[in-house]
Amino acid sequence: MKQSPINLAVGALLLLIFVLLLFVFQVRTTETAVVTTFGRVSGLAGPGPHFRWPWPAQSVHKFDKRVHNFESKFEQVLTSDGNNLLISVYVGWNISDATAFLTRFNGDTRKAEASLEGLIRNAYSGVVGRRTFSNFISTDEKELKFVEIEQEMQTRIQTDCRALTNGLNIAFLGIKRLGLPESVTKLVFERMESEREVLVSQIKGDGERQASELKSRADYESAKLLAEADAQATKTLGEGEKIAARSFETFKQEPDLAIFLLKLKALEQFLQNRTTLILDDSTAPLDLLKSQNAGKK
Amino acid sequence: MSDKQDHPHHEHDHDHDHDHAHPAPAALEGAEDAGTQALAGALKSSFAIVKVIMAGLLVVFLFSGFFIVGPQEKAVILRFGLPAGGGDGKLLGPGPHWAFPPPIDEVVRIPVGQVMSLNSTVGWYPTSAAAEAAGTEMPAGDSLRPAIDGYLITGDENIIHLRATLRYRIAEPGLRYVLDFANASNIVENAFNNALLFAAARYKVDDALTRDQAGFRETARNRFEQLVARHNFGINEIQIDNMQVIPPRQLKEAFGRVTEAEIRRAKELNDARSYENQTISRGRAEAESRKNLGEAERTRLVEFVAAEVERFTNNLPAWHANRELFTQQRQSEVLRIIYTNAQEKVVAPSRGSGGNRELRLQINREPPKPRVLEPAKGEDH
Repeated sequence: MKQSPINLAVGALLLLIFVLLLFVFQVRTTETAVVTTFGRVSGLAGPGPHFRWPWPAQSVHKFDKRVHNFESKFEQVLTSDGNNLLISVYVGWNISDATAFLTRFNGDTRKAEASLEGLIRNAYSGVVGRRTFSNFISTDEKELKFVEIEQEMQTRIQTDCRALTNGLNIAFLGIKRLGLPESVTKLVFERMESEREVLVSQIKGDGERQASELKSRADYESAKLLAEADAQATKTLGEGEKIAARSFETFKQEPDLAIFLLKLKALEQFLQNRTTLILDDSTAPLDLLKSQNAGKK
Repeated sequence: MSDKQDHPHHEHDHDHDHDHAHPAPAALEGAEDAGTQALAGALKSSFAIVKVIMAGLLVVFLFSGFFIVGPQEKAVILRFGLPAGGGDGKLLGPGPHWAFPPPIDEVVRIPVGQVMSLNSTVGWYPTSAAAEAAGTEMPAGDSLRPAIDGYLITGDENIIHLRATLRYRIAEPGLRYVLDFANASNIVENAFNNALLFAAARYKVDDALTRDQAGFRETARNRFEQLVARHNFGINEIQIDNMQVIPPRQLKEAFGRVTEAEIRRAKELNDARSYENQTISRGRAEAESRKNLGEAERTRLVEFVAAEVERFTNNLPAWHANRELFTQQRQSEVLRIIYTNAQEKVVAPSRGSGGNRELRLQINREPPKPRVLEPAKGEDH
């Protein structure tokens, strides 16, 4: 029986796999690798497959080069104007120099973050300590330096990293929390409460003032309308009187008659109804009665 | 392994040929031959089984490379650690795909279609959904403990509690989100916290709480979008939901009093406004009626005078004719009317002697008595 070609192929394949496993390593796109030959750094490897001499000649140290999130502790810092401020920042860091990272931290991420914590603390005193409280918290846009402070801290930590050649890059830094010491929060509450009281009385006074303003304006408007109406009525009446005055010309012909007629009219209207008349019997036409009586006697 | 197994079999064949040249120990050899043949047969059939198993394993190995990309995701194959398909890699859509089994290929799934959501509680006191629902939250102390109680400081140095939900999607291709960050959602959450902090640091407490919540939210959102662009997260469709801003629990009553005062003020102003409306419309009506009255008075006067003029003109000839008679006639006529219309007439005859008479007058007329029900009541008693 002859040697099967399939058997040979399978054997060759297995051998190849074995050799590849020994001589080739691959670096994921999210990683970076340092190759050491007999313990000394001999090269860097980017993503993809690479050749190596098998252990113990060469060894490969792979590091995650993605941006890591590190959050500093909530720490108390004294601002330049003497206020105590609690601050915590988050830092996005990644490995920019794998060799330096390996030599400085032995490739240990935790060690790197511990070192970062120290650098952040330095930045607190160096950057935050030179700022006033109102640079963090203020309604005045000019006073507020929130973004600048973050930028300064980032630049400072980045500079420190470069000086230390620890292979770390600071991708970004932001303030995560700001707070006040516990005892101060109590004082803030007291102040806020008194501010609320002031506000309540302000609102009350404000409401009363506005309401009375509205009311008095309404009264004024109404009075004005009435006065205008009165003026107009008087004017109208005046016009009427002016027309009436023209009749004088007519009455002037015989004033006695005019007066007599007007008197009659007035009398008639004046005594129109619900009148009680008490008359002397000498009044006309009752005088007629009297003379009749006299006649009978 | 199979090479090794084939070898002894071959050797055996050779020995067999040799035996034909020297037939002397044939009987003994024959018995031995049958044994080895049986062994060879058994081995052969085992090899066949092993081969089938190996072929089966190969098939399984090749099929293990199949994977399915779900409807809400995309995938990228990393071949020897590098994105396959050039550049950032070819983005594979939903459906079945094939990749070489590890360690050659690695499938990286990117949840591009999914709405991701995370909560910011950096400004909230410690609580849980269950405690909130049951109303058994931890009571608020006199002060806020830095390590435990979350809160934000507003621009006017007041304290508020704030929480909100952030929703976003990973924008296509989404490789940055998956490959550039060790834990992208944590970083996104911190950026969101930062945006809320940023907005609070410049807002007055009342603006953040009530007066300008929309502006507050917009400021936070703008800041967050800036951070997203700067950090290159590769996310979009950003939405800030369920934003809750409340005063510290310690000051609930004080803030409540302000709200009450505001409500009272609104009521007072409404009352004043309705008074204003009423007064002005009443004034307007009154003014109108006064104007009309003036108008009426004028008309009356003019008409009256015109009538008088007419009467004067009509009576003038008679007056001229006999003044005395005219006067008497008119006077008597008017007196007749007056006397007829008068309700009460009292004639006080003069004393013949010309002495004084005393007359008592009750001037106030007694009003007519209204009908009352009192007598009926009295009867009941």
